[in-house]
Order: sequence, then C-alpha cells, then structure tokens
Amino acid sequence: MHLDDVVTELVEHCGDRLLRVAYQLTHDAAAAQDLVQEALLRVYQSVRHRGLAPEDWYAYLRRAVINEYVRTRRLRSSTEIVTDAVPERPAAGCLEDRAADQAELWAALAALSERQRAVLVLRYYEDLADHEIGALLGCREATVRSLASRGLAAMRPLVAAASAEEEQT
Amino acid sequence: MSEFEDDISRAMAGHDDEAPRAADLLRALEQASPPRRHLGWYVPFMAAAAVAAVVAGSAWAGGLLGGHKPVRTSGGAIPVQRLLSCPASYAHQAPWVPAKPAGIDGRSRLVPQITPSSALLCAYRGRNTARQQAGWALSGQRPLAGGLASLAGQLTWKPHSPRQPIACTAVGGPQTNYLIGLAYPGGARIWVAATNEPNECVAASNGEFTSSGIIGPAVSTAFASGRWPARAPVSCNRSYQDAGRLGQGTAMVPAGSTSVTICAPNARTRTLTSGYQALVSALNRLPTRPSTHSCSGTPGPSGAYQVFFSYPQGPPILVSILVGCHPAVDNNGLQATSASSVMPVIHHLLNRR
Repeated sequence: MHLDDVVTELVEHCGDRLLRVAYQLTHDAAAAQDLVQEALLRVYQSVRHRGLAPEDWYAYLRRAVINEYVRTRRLRSSTEIVTDAVPERPAAGCLEDRAADQAELWAALAALSERQRAVLVLRYYEDLADHEIGALLGCREATVRSLASRGLAAMRPLVAAASAEEEQT
Repeated sequence: MSEFEDDISRAMAGHDDEAPRAADLLRALEQASPPRRHLGWYVPFMAAAAVAAVVAGSAWAGGLLGGHKPVRTSGGAIPVQRLLSCPASYAHQAPWVPAKPAGIDGRSRLVPQITPSSALLCAYRGRNTARQQAGWALSGQRPLAGGLASLAGQLTWKPHSPRQPIACTAVGGPQTNYLIGLAYPGGARIWVAATNEPNECVAASNGEFTSSGIIGPAVSTAFASGRWPARAPVSCNRSYQDAGRLGQGTAMVPAGSTSVTICAPNARTRTLTSGYQALVSALNRLPTRPSTHSCSGTPGPSGAYQVFFSYPQGPPILVSILVGCHPAVDNNGLQATSASSVMPVIHHLLNRR
C-alpha cells in the first residue's frame, strides 16, 4: 500500500457514491474521476485533522466535490466560449402529462449551467431538501429554488422540441 | 413532485451504471504514487507537495503519498523534472516530438490508457504563414494541476491518421505548436505533439503513432487554465465537436456505442440510448474506402445530417451525411458513396415515438 491510509479508507468508504454524484454532474467518466480525485486532494487532510467520524465523511466529501465542480467549471468557462445556451423555443403542450424520454432529459441536463445542474443533481439524485442544498452550496434557500426553477425551465423547451417533432409525424 | 421531476430522477438513476467505480479511482491513485522501495532523501510532506505541484504540476503525485508521513523525493524513481523538461525550441515542422515514447508502448495508441502521474505543456507560438516553420522558440510552459484522467481518457482514443492525403483548408493565421509531456510511475514518459491552427489539419503524434484527432483547442484551454478540460457533451448546437475515435478507419461505427444523437436539418434532433442498432448495422454495411475529408456537390436534393455515436469512454464518432454530395457518408476515417440505404433508418429513428 503506497497511498495514504486515510485516502484509501475514504475511497473505500464512500468512493462509489461520490463518483456517481460526480458522474451526474459531469456526464463523463474520466471527468468524474478527476473531480473526485481533486476534491479528495483538497480536503483529505482536513478529514484527518478534524477527526471526522466515518458517518460524516460522505457529506463532507460531497460538499468538496460539489465545490470543486462549481469552482473548476467557473475557471474553465473563463477560457471557453459558452455554447451550451439553451435555445428558447415555445413549449408544445403540457409536459407534465407525458413521460419524457430519458435520453432527451439526460442531454438537456448537460446543457444547464454548473450551478443549475448541481442543484438538480442534489435535489433529484441526492434527494436533498432545498435548505440542505443551500447550506451545501453556500447560498440561500430562495437562491436554490430560483436555480432549480430556471434549470427546469431551461430543460422543458429541449424536451418539448423532441415532443413536437414526434407529433409532426 | 411533478411527473417531469420524476422523469428527471429516473433519467439520473438510469445512468448510475456508467459512473466509474471506487476501485478505478484507487487504481488511478496507486498509479500516481511512486513505489516505496528503500530509504532515500526524505522531506516533510508539505515541502514535497509544493515541489511536486510546482515542478511537475501534479499535485496528485505529491499530495496523497504518505500524508503527514515523510515522503521520499529521490532514490529509486527518476525525479519528474528530469523526465519532463520543455525543449528550448521546436526543432522541426509540426508535428515533432523531442523523443520517442520511453518505457511505454506508443505504437498502438497516442497515449496509454492509464492516467499519467504528471503532465507538462510546452508552447511554441508562430504563424502558419511564416517562411520558417521549424526552430520556433519556447514561448511558455505550464504543468497541469488537474484533469489528468480526462486527458488520458480523451487522448487514448484519438484515431489513427489516414494513410492517404486529406483535404485541408489553407487559412493563414496564428499557430501554436504544443508539446504535451506525460510522465508515468516508474519513469516511463511520452511526448505528444499537438497544434492549434486555423485549419485544424496538423496531425498529433507521439513519434510512433500519428493521429488525425484535433487536440489543439483542448491543449490551448488546458494551457490557459492549468487543467485538462473535461470533454463537452455532444450537442447539435455547438460548432466545434471533439469527435473521432480509434477504430473509425476500420468501421463506420466502431463497436461499443451506448447512445446516438442525430442532428438533422431544421434543428431536428434526437438522442437515443437504445433501439438504434439498425442504424449502426446500416452504416457498417456500406461499402467504404479511406476518407479524403471531402466531397463534391451533385445535382438534386441536399441536406446535412450529423450522427454522433457516444461511448462510455472517450470521444464520440461523428458520421456526417451530406445528401447531395459525393461521397455522401464520412466518419473522417472512412467514406461511403451513397446514403440511400441509411436515410430511411435515420428518418425512422427521428420519427419514432
């Protein structure tokens, strides 16, 4: 064993869960692995020094993963042309009444901003309440609701477009 | 929770199996850790981490080894800074590397499928219109502090260059030749030449494997940020796409794809994760020849379709179908003359409920 024992223990204890969350955020296996690695690097000393109990590790590391995701995406966005703008198209019919195609939804999630996606992942994948998400992201509950609302609103036209195409035929 | 929100939850849960595993992460971490063979020169952890981060750009290599315990920085393994040092000038016309792969197979892939322990970027700026295309001076260097798994995951799948010449535009402008130096545990290392220029036509090479994959924009982004960028998801709205993968020279759609995204005229798009095997079969049945990256217009109806096949690892394959152009089907590795047998399948998928 060449790795620090604490790192090994952290990965074995909550690596799978962290990687799944990271994958939800990045939609890319390698990027998810990088994200968790870098988050671990940032905080594993703190985990050791704070003497966190194992049952608290996951929440602590998840916060690190989310923060790393938002932080690095922000860095990256300063050097890239943003091309993920969601086209504003009129929604076709009531989307709540149809079971949306999962692939279209997954693709639509990828088009959201990093904070919108983080909020939706924490809300619908991690099943956290808005006040918990706010505490994790360091923002108010109202901001979480706003981010979620805008994220959902941005996704609807994308799914609606697919729906409209089907109805045309 | 509304039905739409329920669908989102289900869509997220449906992709659980695609996430990497903790075992993969541990393996990557082990690879980034030098072996503890025998006692050597020890320095406190923080100093070692700082040296590793500044010199090698791999905070990972220095950050997780030994934790608060002393870390060996010399002795059995060759120090990273001796393995990776930017040449003062770019000696030949691009693509050029200062040395062939050492201690690692460079013939079958542009880079190995394992995560490097450190990476260094060297930049040589000039113009593609300059009379002198060799000997450009080093204009900057930067170690990479993150994204090394992404780097490996993207570059390892870059496709082989076609043997025959391909058509390129001839736009004049700034050109940056990059060298990507990658070091691996045990002292193996590899240099990759990548170029960012307006025509996106200069191949990437490690000295033994030459790839037609476009790497330059990603290297420029990494050079600016110090991190290799994550691959952007497939989007019909984006002009630049990191597409093309190993195997595209032998099959129009290499095996193993997990989804297809069809970008059709009039902004029609469709992404499917199942039920598209008929399209794969139709494309792979086409008589093909090596791609020239070009086609000639023919009279009659026209239309441009882009079909992306995505894979769990690495970039997607892009099959371009230009109805009204000859040859009509091209994945940048192979071309096929006619799309007549494929278009009905595409329309069926676009219209499927």
